[in-house]
Amino acid sequence: SSNPFTRAQEEERRRQNKTTLTYVAAVAVGMLGASYAAVPLYRLYCQTTGLGGSAVAGHASDKIENMVPVKDRIIKISFNADVHASLQWNFRPQQTEIYVVPGETALAFYRAKNPTDKPVIGISTYNIVPFEAGQYFNKIQCFCFEEQRLNPQEEVDMPVFFYIDPEFAEDPRMIKVDLITLSYTFFEAKEGHKLPVPGYN
Amino acid sequence: MSTAMNFGTKSFQPRPPDKGSFPLDHLGECKSFKEKFMKCLHNNNFENALCRKESKEYLECRMERKLMLQEPLEKLGFGDLTSGKSEAKK
Repeated sequence: SSNPFTRAQEEERRRQNKTTLTYVAAVAVGMLGASYAAVPLYRLYCQTTGLGGSAVAGHASDKIENMVPVKDRIIKISFNADVHASLQWNFRPQQTEIYVVPGETALAFYRAKNPTDKPVIGISTYNIVPFEAGQYFNKIQCFCFEEQRLNPQEEVDMPVFFYIDPEFAEDPRMIKVDLITLSYTFFEAKEGHKLPVPGYN
Repeated sequence: MSTAMNFGTKSFQPRPPDKGSFPLDHLGECKSFKEKFMKCLHNNNFENALCRKESKEYLECRMERKLMLQEPLEKLGFGDLTSGKSEAKK
């Protein structure tokens, strides 16, 4: 046990064990860090590639002010309107379609009427076809996601103010897209029920 | 997007509008501007570019009647319809 050769051997083995332990700990910490970083990195990846229809960054008013319309890229926007079965409104678009170019703000109208003799509160959401074009469709203001109360027999115009992002014209996956359909669906808002923003699968 | 099942399935997450919802025009205060805009669309094969003046007037009506937050027209995409900007560009 006091053999110099044996003692040197034990020290060498102890040093190797310490080195191995250090590497294992470093790998473990690295993987932990990578798993935390995965969330923002994945979000970044989705933003650049449009995977999963994630929102593209930058929708501020300043962007609108500096947009340059892409005049030679005409897109037809088709409008659709639906109501859920339990909502007794008449709801329809005021125009069948409009022709827009990316980078130019556009206005369109829906119209809703409450033919019943009671006030009704509706809340709407929207869908865009084709799915990939949704990331380029930016609504500045509309009537969606907030409760809209129509009094008995009341009929109101519901504007949608929007633009197609100028980057639409540069996306190779959008080359063949020249028709975008905007669908709004109104649901009846039940008292006290907080509607989450729905996702469609 | 946490399971493999989701990778092959498209998921569309609706986004709220940048400036929220328009208040309802219960009294139809801007209805005449809207009708003027719709008439322009019908007369121009629904080309938005040819009716931007009418849409600007409709939004101005809403801003005047507190049915929309006041906003510079440049920030609503009507910079080229403002006389100062168009003169500057020429």
